[in-house]
Amino acid sequence: MAPLKSLEQEYPILDSNFQSFCASHDIFSVEDLLLHDLYVLAAFAEQESSSERLKQGIAQVLSIIDGQHQPWLNGIELLEDAQRNKHVLSTGCEGIDLLLHGGLRVGQLTELVGPSSSGKTQVCLLAASNVAKKHIGSVVYLDTGNSFSPQRVTQFICQHSDPAIDQAKHRTLQKVMNNISCKSVFDIFTMFDVLHQLEFNLRSQMQGGDCKVQLLIVDSVSSMVTPILGGSGSQGHALMISAGYLLKKLAHEHNIAVLVTNHTVGGDGGISKPALGESWKSIPHVRLLLSCDHGGSICNVSILKHPSMVESFASLFTMCAIDLSLSLSLSVRPFYKLFLLHMVFLFLFTLFNFFSSGCW
Amino acid sequence: MEAKGWISGDESAKEMLGRVLSRARPFLLLPPLHRVPLRPRNVLEIVGPSPSAKTHLLIQAALTCVLPVDWNGVHYGGFDGFAIFIDLDCRFDIFRFSHLLKLRLASGSVSEIDREQNNNTIKRSSIAYDEELYTLCMRRFSYVRCYDSFEFLATLKTLHYRIQKEKAYGNCVHMLLIDSIGAFHWIDRASTCLPLRGSNRKSHSVQTVLETVVQEIRKLLLLHPMLAIATKATLFGNRAMNEAKCRNLRKPDTSYSQIGGITALQLPYREYMPSAWQTFVTHRILLRPSDDHLAVSDDQNHSVYFSEWLLPSLSFLDKFIVKEAGVFLVA
Repeated sequence: MAPLKSLEQEYPILDSNFQSFCASHDIFSVEDLLLHDLYVLAAFAEQESSSERLKQGIAQVLSIIDGQHQPWLNGIELLEDAQRNKHVLSTGCEGIDLLLHGGLRVGQLTELVGPSSSGKTQVCLLAASNVAKKHIGSVVYLDTGNSFSPQRVTQFICQHSDPAIDQAKHRTLQKVMNNISCKSVFDIFTMFDVLHQLEFNLRSQMQGGDCKVQLLIVDSVSSMVTPILGGSGSQGHALMISAGYLLKKLAHEHNIAVLVTNHTVGGDGGISKPALGESWKSIPHVRLLLSCDHGGSICNVSILKHPSMVESFASLFTMCAIDLSLSLSLSVRPFYKLFLLHMVFLFLFTLFNFFSSGCW
Repeated sequence: MEAKGWISGDESAKEMLGRVLSRARPFLLLPPLHRVPLRPRNVLEIVGPSPSAKTHLLIQAALTCVLPVDWNGVHYGGFDGFAIFIDLDCRFDIFRFSHLLKLRLASGSVSEIDREQNNNTIKRSSIAYDEELYTLCMRRFSYVRCYDSFEFLATLKTLHYRIQKEKAYGNCVHMLLIDSIGAFHWIDRASTCLPLRGSNRKSHSVQTVLETVVQEIRKLLLLHPMLAIATKATLFGNRAMNEAKCRNLRKPDTSYSQIGGITALQLPYREYMPSAWQTFVTHRILLRPSDDHLAVSDDQNHSVYFSEWLLPSLSFLDKFIVKEAGVFLVA
């Protein structure tokens, strides 16, 4: 926030006399003023020679402070804003849309929790392609693990479009792909940069009716945050919560739906739990749990938390199948399995070496 | 002469009781907050992990606050006042608020047992309610969201003028609701160690921020007698709790710090708020989700939550479930 000195230009009442009076009480910025009791300060001002002018200055500061918070709204205004701007975006996945009464709500932060290969990224890609195509809005995709696959998005887009002439198809495809902008971010600081830049762009863009950003995806937010957590310091947690609030602010102020993913880790007693735990819980509006059958073609979704659905508060077991046609994406999997197999062999080999050379 | 005048007193006990009772009648809230009478200037803290229906209880209290006592011959049992909602969590859902209000208006004077029976028949689309009263109640609800603790402080510092403005129109604010008070704990804690110019300058830390918050709310409550309710999420999971327990067990003599009659050892969560806030709180209720579910009908089952009064400490637990129409106690 602003130092008092910089406010003098705009508000001449906050002159050097006022500044030196504040400095004598160790107040240099508006922030300091917020931490001080203004009534006490006014009482001190009473004793000064130029008390009238000082008190005017304090009144001026109060009106500046009044502009520092978000506007007050009553219930009717809130409802009007919500009805006008906070619609839902279909994800393109019937199961999820059904569960969420239509899809991702604009202004809210939706989180997908699930173990590795439970279809989190697939849902993100599907939502991105669907929003870019059907809602005529652009999508910002923050990719932390190089998992964004343009081929997969192309498949999703072509799959749903009518079998038409190749040329027209190509043109729509190009248009839709242009609406998705993917940015690779590998640490939280880059993400802050990108998000602040996005916020700046959105604010300056508000007048112009350009293709509006409708969906912001961070896949995955947990892989970026977990490395900075841990240890005794609270810096990591602070960054995590700041990132969460920045996302929520973007979502609400600029009417964007935010979708983030969170992987799971093994918890106490072998039960897996979300990587971002207790402190992060206060960030997402909606929390969805994804899990996958052994076959890998059917995914289950259940709601862990939702602000307006009471029945789902509890109905943890509402399952629905989402057919993401995962068979298409399975081509990547064999390599992954090969790699695992390789690791197992290496491990066995080391064990064998150890036993043959050592104790026996 | 002065001393004599001071001793003689200026009202009888009866007069005083009449004055106090008329102005500060206790608020009767819906379950599970019904066990303890709450008065204006009390500060109630609702503690619990997420999700444990904290925000729901807050919304329910706000609804009770904005509803009239009577309207067109129908008894609603509200407080006929304004409610101020400061959202630090930024997750308030106006659709939910509006829907719950419609349900409350529709049920009106219907008794609780009837309402439970009606509950299944009421559908989202077809709720009969008084449009005019609905608008009135929605207008009585003031909402502001804060994205950091400075916005929160700025809101509190200017709230007095806001309330005065409402008073000028003849509206009385009865409730101040904060969801949730510990939202910026981590951010404030991390900025504590930033060095500042000037040795006496107040640094931005959890301590100073919360001290200022408490100071501002205290002043507000003095000027405008209203009930303050704040939710607080437990930030530390079971592991942190167990570790704290282990630490306490190792040093038994220091662990018995009394917090509202209950030893720290028994507290099922780890307290992280500074003492300024803890001493400011006059009432505290703890919410806990339980593992079992209550099957209401074939397709629906509800999580069961426990509520326990920690301050004043009542030794029994209430079990409740959250349904579409609100909170219901289960035996």
